Formats: sequence, C-alpha cells, structure tokens
Amino acid sequence: MLSDKNYISLEEIVGKEQVSASKEDLLCYSYDATNTTYLPDAVIFPANALEVSRIVELANLRGFSIIARGAGSGFTGGSLAVSGGVVLSTERMKRVIKIDEENLTATVEPGVITWEFQQDVEALGLFYPPDPTSKKISTIGGNIAECAGGPRAVKYGVTRDYVLGLEVVLPTGEIIKTGTSTMKGVVGYDLTRLMVGSEGTLGIVTGATLRLIPKPESVVTMLAFFPGISEAAAAVADIVAARIMPSTLELIDSFSIKCIEEYDPVRFAGVGALLIVEVDGRPESVKIEAELVNGVCKAAGATNIETATDKRAVKNLWKARRSISPALFKLKPNKINEDVVVPRSKIIELMTGLESIGKERGLIIACFGHAGDGNIHMNIMYDRNDDAEAARASEAVKEAFELTLSLGGTISGEHGVGTTKAEYLEMEIGSVEVALMRRLKECFDPKGIMNPGKIFSNKSAVRVT
Amino acid sequence: MKDLKSFLSEIDKCVKCGTCRSICPTTRVLGRESACARGKLTLIRAYIEGELEMSDDYTRHVKECAMCGGCRDVCPAGVKTTDVYLAARADLVKVNGLSFLERMVFKNLDSTRLMPSVLRLGARFKGLLFKAASPAEAGTASAIETDTGLISRFSLPLVGGGRLMPTVAKRFFLDLKEVRRLGKRPKKASSNTSETASVKVAFFAGCGVNYLMPHVGTASLKCIERTGAAVSVPKGQVCCGMPAFYTGDVETAERLARKNIEVFEEYGYDFVATSCATCSHGLKTVFKKLFENDDEMRDRAEAFSAKVRDITELLARDLKPVKTVEGISPTAPESGGKEAVKQISVTYHDPCHLNRNQGIKAEPRALLEDAEGVDFKNMKFACSCCGLGGGLSMTNYDLSIAITKRKADGAIASGADVIATACPGCIVQLRDAMQRYGVDKKVVHVVELL
Ligand SMILES: Cc1cc2nc3c(=O)[nH]c(=O)nc-3n(C[C@H](O)[C@H](O)[C@H](O)COP(=O)(O)OP(=O)(O)OC[C@H]3O[C@@H](n4cnc5c(N)ncnc54)[C@H](O)[C@@H]3O)c2cc1C
Repeated sequence: MLSDKNYISLEEIVGKEQVSASKEDLLCYSYDATNTTYLPDAVIFPANALEVSRIVELANLRGFSIIARGAGSGFTGGSLAVSGGVVLSTERMKRVIKIDEENLTATVEPGVITWEFQQDVEALGLFYPPDPTSKKISTIGGNIAECAGGPRAVKYGVTRDYVLGLEVVLPTGEIIKTGTSTMKGVVGYDLTRLMVGSEGTLGIVTGATLRLIPKPESVVTMLAFFPGISEAAAAVADIVAARIMPSTLELIDSFSIKCIEEYDPVRFAGVGALLIVEVDGRPESVKIEAELVNGVCKAAGATNIETATDKRAVKNLWKARRSISPALFKLKPNKINEDVVVPRSKIIELMTGLESIGKERGLIIACFGHAGDGNIHMNIMYDRNDDAEAARASEAVKEAFELTLSLGGTISGEHGVGTTKAEYLEMEIGSVEVALMRRLKECFDPKGIMNPGKIFSNKSAVRVT
Repeated sequence: MKDLKSFLSEIDKCVKCGTCRSICPTTRVLGRESACARGKLTLIRAYIEGELEMSDDYTRHVKECAMCGGCRDVCPAGVKTTDVYLAARADLVKVNGLSFLERMVFKNLDSTRLMPSVLRLGARFKGLLFKAASPAEAGTASAIETDTGLISRFSLPLVGGGRLMPTVAKRFFLDLKEVRRLGKRPKKASSNTSETASVKVAFFAGCGVNYLMPHVGTASLKCIERTGAAVSVPKGQVCCGMPAFYTGDVETAERLARKNIEVFEEYGYDFVATSCATCSHGLKTVFKKLFENDDEMRDRAEAFSAKVRDITELLARDLKPVKTVEGISPTAPESGGKEAVKQISVTYHDPCHLNRNQGIKAEPRALLEDAEGVDFKNMKFACSCCGLGGGLSMTNYDLSIAITKRKADGAIASGADVIATACPGCIVQLRDAMQRYGVDKKVVHVVELL
C-alpha cells in the first residue's frame, strides 16, 4: 500500500492529473500481454526525465517500488507490479526530439511508438531496422529494456545494435548519460549495453540516441509453401548455409496457419508450413538474391513459391503474420509462449524435437517466428482450468528448454526473462554468473525498489536493507 | 438487445496483446490505457463482476469513444468490441437514465412536428450565441454551397467555445416542394404492374440531410434520377435512431426503427437509399439487431435492410448511369474530354460507419475518379475516424475535435482543395476542424461533385 503521504508527494511532482490511484486506473495498468493481473498501488505519468528522477528519488528514499511501463505489450510480465508499487507509464514522453540527417542518428523519448518513429525516419529516406512484430504498439523504451528483435534481425540485428547512447534515471534517482552520439566510443565500461535488455531493473530510460542507416531501395517479398515443418526448417538452414542474406526469414507451422487461415482461406488451407522470405537492397542484387532463394526453397521441397507483386498483398501477409500470436487462442484458451533460439543449423532438430514433445504429452505446440536467426516462438497450448493438462504443459516447457540448451541455444531471444522465465534462469546461466548479476543489481539498486521480482526468481531479488 | 452480462465470454476473448492501441483515435489523443479496448474491456468486466461500481470514472471511460470500430477490426482475437461497448452504454442508460438534454432530444426524434419547430426556434435566436462564419472559417466553397455555419461566441453546454456549428437550413429537405411531391403514396396494388419497368428507389433523408444539408439530399435525388430510376421520398419518415442507439437509449432506437419500417412498407421500392453513412449503417445492420427477440419485427426489418444501400454504393454498383436519357440531361458533354473541364483536386475521407461497418471504400472513390472535373487523390489516414461519432462530440467535445486534428493534417498533406466524404456528420466535424486548425479546404458530400 502506498501511504497518503507518499501519494501527496507524488502529486506534488507531476500534478494531480498525472497520478492516480483510482480503481479504474489501477485495473488498466494491472496487465500486459501475458494476460496476468497484478494491481499496482498507483499509476504515474511523468512528462520528462526530471520528473522521473524526482519520482524515483522519492521511491528510493521512502522505500516503495517503481515499475516502468511502455505499452504493456511485453510477453514476460516485465511491466507488472507483482508486489505492488507504482507503475510509471511513459505514455506522455513520446517526442521524437531530433533526427540528425547528417550523422544518421536520432534522439527520442522512451514512449515513442516504434512504428511511428520508423515512419518518420523513412520519410527522410532513413531506416531504423528493429521491428518487433508488436511495433505498431510497443515503445522504444520497452524495446530497449527487452532488447527487442523482429523479422529483420536476421540481416540487421536487434535493438542493441542501434542504441548509441542513453539517458537513464538510476534507481537512486540520479540522471546519467551512457554511451556517445558518435558511431564509436570506448571510454569507460559499456553501460549502454548493460542497460539494453535489463528489463527496467537497473534504471528507467528517459532518452535514447539511436543509429539510423539508409533505407534499402527495394524489397522483394516471397511466400514459400511447404508440405511439412521439416522441409521448411531445412530450407531455412540451407538459405543460411548458401550465404544468402535475406532481410526476413519467418517460419509458420501448420497450427499457426490454421489460426490465420481467414486472411487467405484459399491459399492457406491445409498448408504444412510457410516461409516468408524478404530480400532487400539495390534492385539488381535483390533480383539475384530472390532467384537464389527460390532455388534453395525448391530444392528443399517447396511445393510453390510466390513473389508478392503489389503492396496490398504484402501488407495483408504481414498483418496475418502479426496476428498469429494473439490468434493462437483459437486453439486453446491459454498458452505458454517461449522464444527460444538455437544455432541455425539446428533448427530442424529443434522443430522435430518439439513436435515429439508435443505428441508425447498430448499437447499442441504451435511454432512460428524469426527462424532466419534461429529464433522460434513456441507456444504450448493448454487450458488453465484443466489441471492435468496444465501440469503437462509446464513439464513440456522444461523439456523444451532442456532440448534448446542441449542444441547450444538460449531460452529467450528477445522477450526477456521477466517473471515468466525467472525460475528457469539458472538452467542456462551458471551460478557464478547469476551471483555476479545479482551483485550488479544490488550495486545499481541497493534498496531493490526498481521493478522487483523480475529476472531473478522472486524473494531473493528484493532485499530491503 | 442482449444483456451486458451475456458479453462476459466475448470480453474474455481479449488476450491483452494491446493491438487495439495501434488504431484507437482516443488513445492517440489521451495517451491512457483506459481509452483503448483492452482497458475498456477490463473495466466493463470488472463492473459486470461487481468489482467496480458504476462510478463517474467508469461512466466516462465507457463514453470516451467515438465508436469507430477500429479496435474491432484490428483485433487478432476477434473480440466484437463495439457490441460490448453498446451493451455497456445501454446498461448505463438502464441504470442512470438519460440526461435531461438527451431525453429532450431523443424522445422527440420521431415527432415530425416538434423537432422541426424546436430547430426553427433555435435558428431564430442563434445570433445571440453564435456568429456567422466567413467562408474561409467554414471551410466551404461558396461556389458549391452558400451556408457557411456559425461559430459559437461562448463556451456553451454541449457545444464548446469557438466551435463551428452547422446552420439549420431555412427550409428542411422533407419540406421542400419538389421533395414533398415525391412523397405521394403509390396505390399499393400497382406496385407489381408493368409500369414498374424502371428501378424504384425510396430515399431516406436522415436528420443531417433534412435539417442541415438539404442540398445534399437534392443532389442525391438528381444523381439517382439521372440514371433513369424512379425516386420516392416516403412521407412520415423519421430519424434513423442511431444517435439514441449509440448513447444507449435502445428503446428510442427501437421505436424509431419500427416507425421507419412501417412508413417504407407503404411504398414499393427496389432499393432504399440514403446519403448518410450513419443512417445507411443503421438501416442496414442495426435494425435487425434491435428486433433480435421479436420474430415478426425481425423478419420485417430484415426484408427492409436487405434493400438498403448507401448512396455511393447505389450509384457505383446498383444503378448504371444513363447519360443519354432524354430530358434528364447528363451533367457534362461527351465532347471535349476531361481536359476541357476545369479540374478541382479532391480527396476522400472514409466515414467509419461506411468503411468499417459496411465495407464500402472503393465505391465512393470510383465515383470521384469518374466524375467530370475532379482530380482525385487519396489522402493519408483517409480511414481514421473524424471523432464525431458515438456521441463523443456531445459528451466530450474537446477530445472529439482533438481527434480530428489528424484529419486536418492529412488534408494538408494531400494537397487537395476539397475533401469529399459521404456522411453529413463527418462533414460537420471536418468543417469545424478545418476552421479550428486554420486549414483552407472545402468539405462536401461526394454527391455534390457528381
Ligand atoms: C503480438 C505481439 C508480438 C510481439 N512480437 C515481438 C517480436 O517480434 N520481438 C520482440 O522482441 N518482442 C515481441 N513482443 C514483445 C514486446 O512487444 C516487446 O518486448 C516490446 O519491446 C515491449 O515494449 P513495451 O513498450 O510494450 O514495453 P512493456 O511491456 O510496457 O515493458 C516491457 C519491459 O520494459 C520495461 N520498460 C518499459 N519502458 C521502459 C523504460 N523507459 N525504461 C526502462 N524500462 C522500461 C518494463 O519495466 C518491462 O520490464 C511481442 C508482443 C506482442 C503482444
């Protein structure tokens, strides 16, 4: 519970209108895309870094927790107030402060919506590649905190590759600057990289300087139809091995196709697996690469390969792709959604392994995702109200993680650990490394007020001294 | 209409992915989770479960929505968000009743006498509260139309300061002599005889056309007649009821729907046409829903709805222009070609009730592209909501007109001189926005350009 005294102090910082503890507002900031609910004690909407700094300073002084929140599209519970506290929404901090066309950089506030920022820079012939499928809602701050990736990561990398410098409010309230606004910089430790992917546990990002590149001149989008998942997975591995650099290489399995069939009932019905492949660059090279992709897919067993000719078709295809994740609920009311990554040569083994885990336990495991970088979104579908099924689902997760790690992979490529993966952290990370990470956390956040209960499994992370 | 409680399972389809945030015009302006569907559904659910009372905040959040249907259209889980909102609004009315003003307006919508006289009275005293807008302020071309609208002198309840209000017409559409002539009831028996060779269209005016924009009505009639179809304007028709329906006053909506169906049944027609997107949506899709639990009325509503066409749909699809019919002179000569006619550049705004609720998007554009003297360009955000709907311009004018800012920006970027649309409501709102944001563009109905 937040005391009246603390509430009034918060009002003094941001004004009465910009903080709320009404039941209505608490409910609206109690969930994220994991569809779980924890009521915060209050929600606050600061306008700038200074206000954020004063809020955090107060929280640190009085000992209540602060949970940063962008759009609440996170898949691992990162923005949830799992043990109460104040949700700090960046919805008002949404200015693109500067796009520097000479140096190809941009400075933005954390609440800027990824896609809108991309529209702005693309209008100037520039390009900000990180494109989580949630880009139309997710914020740059949330992307930085999770180190979001997306379909284009296979060629262009993830959020971390485009962050040059940050403005951060530390859990103790100071405003710091990390990194540079230059293309290079090695002075001191790389705090920027430490902050990227820290899930709002080490500080609140209040500003970011991002790297831009020239916008590719042309893009060709292809859709390849496969009889089954193993052929499609083989094609992915073959494309990589053939040293072709597609800008997108997305895999969709038959369960997932079923959920989006309505987008194209004629062509999607009964398909075993799909690959969406994009190549971009100069028109001449794009043409050559597209032909290469075509050849590899055919050799791997594609029954049909279509090249999209008009923008509308491409848009519709991506709309369908973006809908998969939420549309999976047509299969079962609940899902455990994990985004494992394996070396790309091991995708076939991962896919067949997951298939047999599903079969053995009588579960649907729907897979799709950014296969081009080895990142597969596996969704174990179940019904929360069916205890036996729920138990089998959680066993399956563990088994899938074991499989992933045995293939030399990682249990999360982009969604982060948050609360949902905290209990599995030590499956992947050694005890010495975990201890080092905890010490880092304590060093940044001695009172444990910043987004407690995330990454490290519960109690031990929140050590109030 | 179904009870709010029965929508629990619909609400539970929401998986909280947040995709609704990407399209919601109120979320864009307010920047709060309570504005988007994910938030609203959470609140409505909590209210149904008794976790939340019908508080002022709850009421405000339920009403803070232009009912554009964007969230429903993008929802990957397929939640019928607008149906839930409507049920929540109906529940608000059931518990709290209507405000005095809403009651005054809605209870009299079906009076063919009282509404007009109130409006006329208002028209007489308007000078006290409003000043006339200059054509530039009104965003209207005097060449196309003379009425420029009024700007409120003070901040008025339901109106707000500096707001451009449409002028009430000197003569209402349904009172025009040439329109009343078309209201003559045909002898019922004759409806099946051979004299019905030509297509028969019964025209539904709607309040916007009747009270504010009779010229849109007459232009529509001309467009229909030009195709050789026979037009009637059934006498005794009343408001389509959608303003009441969207406020949650289902009872009034039912009463008006019943009355309209009865009136139109007196006439023989192949199509019912209207030039208001909200009316065509209501007549076509809402009437049936209103009589879900009344077999007899539902059948009658279905028979009626099956014939309803928006004017743009009717002209682009159902009726072929007969340019050479004698006596009904085509507007432009065949000779000379397009270059000979002075071109005005026109863009198009999609009314939500037409685009989202009826899927009519290509038809008005096709009409404009074919129109003589029109140089058509698409505009950015053409299908983003104007902000007027769902009663929002009455319950929260500031929010409503802030939403329209995006349209003003889109209009500037389009470079067009004229914004055409197919809904008197949108026209009123867009004109107000052009005035407010200092954009010198005319706003007209598509039929005025044909
Ligand atoms: C349909 C769907 C598809 C998705 N596809 C992808 C995908 O392709 N790739 C991918 O990587 N992710 C994907 N995601 C997950 C999610 O969108 C990303 O993790 C995104 O980066 C979250 O952004 P957000 O603004 O919603 O952040 P939130 O969900 O609000 O927060 C996420 C985390 O960031 C922290 N945070 C937010 N803002 C700040 C800040 N200013 N400073 C410090 N910490 C902050 C929060 O505390 C929390 O820990 C998808 C989600 C959905 C619903």
